[in-house]
Amino acid sequence: MRVIECSNLTKTFFTKKALNKLSFSIEENKITGLIGRNGAGKTTLLKIIAGFIKETSGEIKVFSEKPFNNLNNSAHVIYVDDHMSFPSTIPLLELLKVAESFYPNWNRDLAMRLFEYFSFDPKTYHHRLSKGKTSTFNMIIGLASRCSLTIFDEPTTGMDESVRKDFYKALLKDYIAYPRSIILSSHHLSEIEDLLEDVLLIKDGKTYLQMPISELKEYAFALQGNNGEVFKLTSDKEVIFKNHIASNVTYVIVKNDGSKNLLQQARHAGVEISPVPLSDLCVYLTNETNGGIEDVFNEN
Amino acid sequence: MYSQYQLAEMYTINPATAAKGLNLLVDEKILYKKRGLGLFVSSTGKEIIINKRKNFTLKGLVRELVIEAKQLQLSEKELMMMIKELYEEEDKQ
Repeated sequence: MRVIECSNLTKTFFTKKALNKLSFSIEENKITGLIGRNGAGKTTLLKIIAGFIKETSGEIKVFSEKPFNNLNNSAHVIYVDDHMSFPSTIPLLELLKVAESFYPNWNRDLAMRLFEYFSFDPKTYHHRLSKGKTSTFNMIIGLASRCSLTIFDEPTTGMDESVRKDFYKALLKDYIAYPRSIILSSHHLSEIEDLLEDVLLIKDGKTYLQMPISELKEYAFALQGNNGEVFKLTSDKEVIFKNHIASNVTYVIVKNDGSKNLLQQARHAGVEISPVPLSDLCVYLTNETNGGIEDVFNEN
Repeated sequence: MYSQYQLAEMYTINPATAAKGLNLLVDEKILYKKRGLGLFVSSTGKEIIINKRKNFTLKGLVRELVIEAKQLQLSEKELMMMIKELYEEEDKQ
């Protein structure tokens, strides 16, 4: 079953198109990573899915219904980020109790265990929490709600290393016990790549690619070696990124077209072939130009 | 054999990824499926793994060793000497 289906989704803020004819769909009970550069439209997309804002044009269906102004959507979809607003006069423990009345699948036991594990003071208020603690508390709400569609938008903002690791473990454990559709957006792909099943990469408000993470890992590879040799080997390939490391050494990332004898050719030519870390690949794929920051400093 | 879900929790990886890994081992006949019971290590499993490590992993390492030695202009004899010395060292421990 498809949890989310959207086609030609467009959202305009004044004259700027945050989403530009975006189309994709997400299958039930998968953990999908939403990846994109700053300003690519990730948050706008997630907020439309959660029903917080309305699309300008195009079509979006969440659980086969339009998400905006939809009570069903509010009960079964949760959007977690570090700006979730809670009443400032209700202490934390009470907030958990109130949240229970909003979400039909809420698990009080899980909420309380996490609340105690992360040693929250039941009497303090949400707006008095530090940045990391705010994210941690919001994450507890997100997990305990057990919504059929759970959206985490940059959930680890401000969390320290150990809390982040705990969060990923808790997310996975609860997902295995109670499978549901989860969308995770993060700038730290290397941290979340092991958790994901699918990746949705967006660029300039459009779907750039969507595929299982295992395919993305084989999407491209890197060659490094003598300029001429690298050029010869890559002349018939699609180049994603190119960098001159030294005057006669080039590093090139090319799209994997499945040719098998390249590895041997490269070995004979003294060219090193290596896999590309996913986080690097996504950076290169979504770059505006084929160069890098070095080009800013290179006058010619 | 651990199930895909146990493996997923042990290594904090997506269960689908764990399942793909297990399927690869089934394809290589290291594991086999018993209907309704799960996955088991086949009787030839250990042998297959040892052969694979000899013919691919070890061979690859030796290849790198030879390439590195050549780049450092080390002769075959000198490299063999080094290997012999290390063998003796390991045997002592």
